[in-house]
Amino acid sequence: MSFPDPIAVFRTEAAELLEQIEAGLLDLNVNLGDKDRIDAVFRGLHTLKGSGAMFGFDALAAFTHHCETAFDRVRKGEVPATQALVTAVLEAKDHMRALVETPAGDHEATSEALLANLRAAVEGADNPSAAQALSAPARTLFKIRFSLPQNAMANGTNPLPLLDELRELGECRIVADRSAIPSLDLLSPTDLHISWNVELLTSQPRSAIEDVFIFVMDDMQLEITAVEAATSAARSPESRETPVQPVEPVATEPVTASASRVSAPVTVAPLPTDAKASKTSENVRVPAEKLDELMDRVGELVIAQSRLSQLAGGSGDLQLRAVSEDVERLSGELRDTMMVLRMVPVTQLFGRFRRLVHDLSHETGKMIELVTEGESTEVDKSVIERLADPLVHLVRNSCDHGLETPDERLAAGKPQAGRIMLSARQQAGEVIITIKDDGRGINRERVRAKAEASGLIPPNANLTDQELYQLIFQPGFSTAQQVTNLSGRGVGMDVVKRTIDALRGTINVASHAGQGSEISLAIPLTLAIIDGLLVRVGAGRYVIPLSAVEECLELSIEEDMRSRGRSFISLRDSLVPFLRLRDLFRTGTKPDPFQKVVVISTGSERVGLVVDQIIGDHQTVIKAMSKLHHDVATFSGATILGDGDVALILDVGHLVTEGQQQEAHLRAAG
Amino acid sequence: MSIADFKEDCFHLPPNLTVRAISAIRQEMLQLIDKNRSTTIAFADDCQVDISFVQLMEAARIYAVSAGKNIALAEPANGPVLDVLERSGFLEGMSADDATFWLHQGGIQ
Repeated sequence: MSFPDPIAVFRTEAAELLEQIEAGLLDLNVNLGDKDRIDAVFRGLHTLKGSGAMFGFDALAAFTHHCETAFDRVRKGEVPATQALVTAVLEAKDHMRALVETPAGDHEATSEALLANLRAAVEGADNPSAAQALSAPARTLFKIRFSLPQNAMANGTNPLPLLDELRELGECRIVADRSAIPSLDLLSPTDLHISWNVELLTSQPRSAIEDVFIFVMDDMQLEITAVEAATSAARSPESRETPVQPVEPVATEPVTASASRVSAPVTVAPLPTDAKASKTSENVRVPAEKLDELMDRVGELVIAQSRLSQLAGGSGDLQLRAVSEDVERLSGELRDTMMVLRMVPVTQLFGRFRRLVHDLSHETGKMIELVTEGESTEVDKSVIERLADPLVHLVRNSCDHGLETPDERLAAGKPQAGRIMLSARQQAGEVIITIKDDGRGINRERVRAKAEASGLIPPNANLTDQELYQLIFQPGFSTAQQVTNLSGRGVGMDVVKRTIDALRGTINVASHAGQGSEISLAIPLTLAIIDGLLVRVGAGRYVIPLSAVEECLELSIEEDMRSRGRSFISLRDSLVPFLRLRDLFRTGTKPDPFQKVVVISTGSERVGLVVDQIIGDHQTVIKAMSKLHHDVATFSGATILGDGDVALILDVGHLVTEGQQQEAHLRAAG
Repeated sequence: MSIADFKEDCFHLPPNLTVRAISAIRQEMLQLIDKNRSTTIAFADDCQVDISFVQLMEAARIYAVSAGKNIALAEPANGPVLDVLERSGFLEGMSADDATFWLHQGGIQ
């Protein structure tokens, strides 16, 4: 039995912590007064520092310590969170990643430069005028009076940690009220007779104070009165002249067991810490390569099971058939479980674009709002990994070329901030990832001119919008008049195309001048095992992904003869084009007397595939085609059948496009 | 009257001065105050203390005053006892009498 390398485990955990820190910082950037985010970032930095030191990453621990200290000051209300501080810590976070990955590298100069930035950001925030300008979180003076249940101590409640927690909320003055303590002869020593008066100056809301008492609130007396609101600067000795803002008179709200406020906070008790801890202990961290290995084994098992089924089917041995059916059922269940294990939500993928858009916004001077949708959509992890780079190119392209500058947008009657929407949804065995912007749209004329100048299309070629827009994915194609460090060199979009092709996916582009562009990537949910429909065309067998199959029909010889030259079938009052695979694959064989039409679709587009025989469903372990066949568009892969033969897997997207083109040509021909 | 006088009748408290042991301590302390005109209380530097002990001592002070007796600490509060006094808010707004009793600041009560 091998034990995981603790350093590798730390690196994995550090990567997760850094992601959490980044997410927290980006959230904080939107709402600088968000105490929860400030606490979360602080905790992340604190944990990273501590674990780093424990595993010997001393440079990381030392560097992170400075960021942690800065956030501790923010947390305590000593300095406000500012965008400069968030940016400085974001940059520092990237450096922490380097310190995790290459701890022995020469990082000193970078560390110094980043820490100088951090110090400048903290000092800028510490400046009272700057603090006010950057809207420091307002602090409120609360007067709190509380007494715990008389049996609190006997029941194991220690008041001291509660008082400590109050102190952690801000500047605190706690005075014990001992007026109710009886004489020793009358004292029941395990009862609590002390109550407390507290003055707390904090930027935390009243609910944070109530949360301190969440577990004893039922029987205690708690009065919280907001006395005044003040900024942290107003309380500092240097700025005593800064007027304290009076707050609206707030009624004292005694909180007792009968008060309606009591029950609500109890349901949102600070249980998450424990609950999260117990939940974490139920999870097991498994390296991704182990999952890949397991997937390969399951794939081999599925192939072996397929062979067993075939042997059992040809045998008269009833016991063998029964065993074969059991194995088939179990391997199917194992496959389904395995597929679920490999599925991860796209939120992991989308999360990284928040930082990208934040950085691009700074680089381009454009105001950019990133909106994400469908983050819970799950996709095979290998697909997620391979989608990252294409999406980076597309998002960068939208930011650089798609969105206008704030002035241009205002002049066009649009909001100053441009919007990029990343969305994901599942549709018929595919995940559709869409990148949509509300920018200027693709300049059709410029694309055409560039394509003609590059010799990609002949002058005045008759192209649909879709055909024209697909040209932007050609190598070296860029309509940008200026090359920036973001885009414009014509590399990138062809990488997108190549990657999506390799994933057996398709790209669809839509654009409206002045309104923006939308690029949709349709990718198979998994690249490993699919349910397929095994068909025969001539002597060859082929697999059609079952998720794309809508229905199967019989094509009689008469109908076949009637449809010659038209290649349409009438399906519930709509004409559906069909492709004769026998002709397409040039089998040179005669058609079977009762051919079948398998109707497949991608979204709203449908096409029928005429085959000689439908053999049945087949668990299909997808094997990649060799490099020699990478340009064969009709097939997306191959699989091994039970008898050892190879069956090619049909590329549904390509066939539907071909069928639709055939329909368009026939319609054009009248 | 000096601390040294009190030390003659010094009541050495057990190391556990928490709510678990407080009932027994109360009983002994009550008997001691009843028996002596002056009682001096001593506790170990490494004792375990919680708020119940501070409350007990305050109750004992009230009882001693009402019974015309004296009670004092052998040493000013320090270590864990001082820590509990501080955390529980007893040091804030302490009267002169309180400061004398707990911290030996000023005269002896």
